[in-house]
Amino acid sequence: MKILSSIKYPLLKAIDISGLTFLSPVVRLCYGEEPSVQLKKIGQWIIIPVAAMLLFIFAWNAGSGLIKTKAGTLPTPGETADALGSINTFADREDLKKEAYNLTGEERLAALAVAEAQLASITPKVQETTDAVAQAKSEHEKSIAVVVEPLEKNYDELKEKFSQAQDKRKQELESVSETLVIGDKASYTKFLDLVKANESQTDAEKTELSSLKAAISDARNDKSKKVALALSMQTKVAEEKQFLEKQIEQLTKRNRSIMVESAETNISTTTEELYQLTGADAYKKARSIAKDESRLEKTIESKYAQPATLWYQVRRSILCVFTGFIIGAGIAIPIGILCGLNSTFMAAMTPFIAIFKPVSPIVWLPIALIIVGGFIPDPENNAVIQWLWKAPLIDIYKINPAFIASAITVALCSLWATLANTALGVASIDKDHMNVARVLKLGFWSRLFKIVIPSALPLIFAGLRISLGVGWMVLIAAELLSSSEGIGKFVWDQFNNGASDSFAKMMVVVFVVGFVGLILDRIMIVFQRLVSFEGSKAAI
Amino acid sequence: MKTQSKFVEISHLVKEYPNPYGDDFRVIEDFNLNIKKGEFISLIGHSGCGKSTVLTMLAGLNEISDGGIIVGDKEIDGPGPDRSVVFQAPCLMPWMSAYGNVMLGVKNIYPHATKAQQKQIVEHALSVVGLADSMKKYPSEMSGGMQQRVGIARAIALQPKVLLLDEPFGRLDSLTRMELQDVIVDIIAKEQLTAMIVTHDVDEAVFMADRCVMMSNGPKASVGEILEIDFDRPRDREKIFKDSQFFAYREHLLAFLEQRSHIKDKARIFSDKSTLGFMSEQELHDFQVKLGVPPQPAQGH
Repeated sequence: MKILSSIKYPLLKAIDISGLTFLSPVVRLCYGEEPSVQLKKIGQWIIIPVAAMLLFIFAWNAGSGLIKTKAGTLPTPGETADALGSINTFADREDLKKEAYNLTGEERLAALAVAEAQLASITPKVQETTDAVAQAKSEHEKSIAVVVEPLEKNYDELKEKFSQAQDKRKQELESVSETLVIGDKASYTKFLDLVKANESQTDAEKTELSSLKAAISDARNDKSKKVALALSMQTKVAEEKQFLEKQIEQLTKRNRSIMVESAETNISTTTEELYQLTGADAYKKARSIAKDESRLEKTIESKYAQPATLWYQVRRSILCVFTGFIIGAGIAIPIGILCGLNSTFMAAMTPFIAIFKPVSPIVWLPIALIIVGGFIPDPENNAVIQWLWKAPLIDIYKINPAFIASAITVALCSLWATLANTALGVASIDKDHMNVARVLKLGFWSRLFKIVIPSALPLIFAGLRISLGVGWMVLIAAELLSSSEGIGKFVWDQFNNGASDSFAKMMVVVFVVGFVGLILDRIMIVFQRLVSFEGSKAAI
Repeated sequence: MKTQSKFVEISHLVKEYPNPYGDDFRVIEDFNLNIKKGEFISLIGHSGCGKSTVLTMLAGLNEISDGGIIVGDKEIDGPGPDRSVVFQAPCLMPWMSAYGNVMLGVKNIYPHATKAQQKQIVEHALSVVGLADSMKKYPSEMSGGMQQRVGIARAIALQPKVLLLDEPFGRLDSLTRMELQDVIVDIIAKEQLTAMIVTHDVDEAVFMADRCVMMSNGPKASVGEILEIDFDRPRDREKIFKDSQFFAYREHLLAFLEQRSHIKDKARIFSDKSTLGFMSEQELHDFQVKLGVPPQPAQGH
């Protein structure tokens, strides 16, 4: 009990600093503090937002069917959740394949046995699901035929009837035209009216026919839910079978230890053969051994070439946004401080800030790509890039020129908020504090580091927080354009992919981007509160 | 070497601000005052008369328009640690502890002292003002009175030639105010500091100072009258507040202030064309009627 009551206020303080204030009434309620007040707050800050979310999901579910395009219907929340599931399944399977590639000895054999058993159990299902699809399709076709046949019959009859009527009218008009007398204007006017009436009659008949035709094609295209379900089951099973086959391959002939072993045996046999040879043959043999050996070395060092999963792309995007953010802050904070300290410098910088601030990331990115490409024409032979590919922790992210260009774009678009806030923070330093500094005769540097920067810090961090938010938005667009592996590229790939669940996967990305952005913002709020002091301008 | 009676010499001090509608606006004109070493001066007058202006000029924070100030043989030029200031607001850096705030100045003024010596100076200053136990506290954790104690500690840690107090207790409640008055009086007695306090509290002016300088009303304010306070140091609050002489001094000061706030003074201000030169004759008349100032016959200046 004592421990519980002693952590109450530290807990509340932590909640306050992290900005998760909606949790504090829950904590207070747990400690029995004014239950009615806390319940009211919980109602306001937890129940109402949750209810609003549920309402939104309900409206989304109801409304998604209404938005139909050629590319597909807006996915429902359920389909979006399924897409998230398939993204996760893909990621899990890739991890299993990677594991399979690296397994050796007994473990490899055990994993192989499991995978083969799974494959054996799934193989009959493939036929079952294929049959189910065929059955569902034929049933559906029958049900369509019931609707379509009378419609088609109706259509044919109408078409016949209309064409006969049209011919008849044409003949009548032609006979009227024979009776026309030159000079009798009234008869011409009458004839013209008759022709016009005939044309509009023909148009009306055409419209009727085409609407009937549309109804027929609608009936034909009517998608059956049963067929869709059967198809998705079939795809699921087929995908799982394909995965298991691939996994077995990674456990057997594409397994690293197996490949190394076979290469070693191969080398030892050819070496034995070499001992029996002389002359040109010996040279040939020796060369092939040397080649095999270097290949073996590469195999030993090799890693499973894993395709990018969404979660890998999310991590790479976060790395990229922080790279850009740090570059931006590194430029913005010193310039902002100089602007705040010196109005002449501020005046000199104003045109640049005013002109470059509104420039879109779409403009910066190609420029950054060209410049980075100019410095790093060949990443394979660039010392810095090679070092980054081997550096611990970040080696798996394969930092390439597109990544650097995206980060620079993020920096260029996001630095303005930090710059403006830093300049404001430095310029609006409390005059009393400056008077103290004057009386104490502080030098430039101690004035800067002891008074100016600490007092501007809350505003600087408020700026950094805005910058990180802007940077995150800009980055997704930059990745989409630069094809830098990341969330933006995932969206672009889905857009070009056009698979049945691509649309739903893009909806998943909406939430993933939003959620990561929220976390980044929360992190910055914590930092901002930690550097804020009582009475500071940016304190929230 | 100057005599002890002229440790601080303020002569023909003028402060003027530019006035876009006429002649420059003179707040202070021909202010003369000599301060002896170890003497405590209180500067009293109506609010807005320029007391604080004189003090900030002495501190070097406010530019001197004309005249000069000499502190111990040297004419002042800008602010410096030889004239440390206790401001009306404590002006502490909120991101530093009490210790850090005092150390900020000490480190700069005694750059050649060892770390241990600097620490000793800071700790001494803080314990003198009664904060020996609160050195690690941050301003947000301290009351206004405690914060002002830190402000005083920061000022005396510099071991200034002159200690300047700019309405230091203006924002404190009367109990805390008395406590801090005693703190200052004790320090002054112990360290033999020369000091000047700006105040509009008559009791404070009499209790703390050796001489009360009463300022005439602005604009063009200068020394109106000087009252010698003849109490022994160190001063004992209880004894002094029972002394009949104390009340005599107090009455004297109050009489001066009351006389200065007399309606005639207002009339002088509001008929002065140099201050209200942007108004036409008629406007000026209307304005004076509005304020209840008896209209004066136009006077040259």
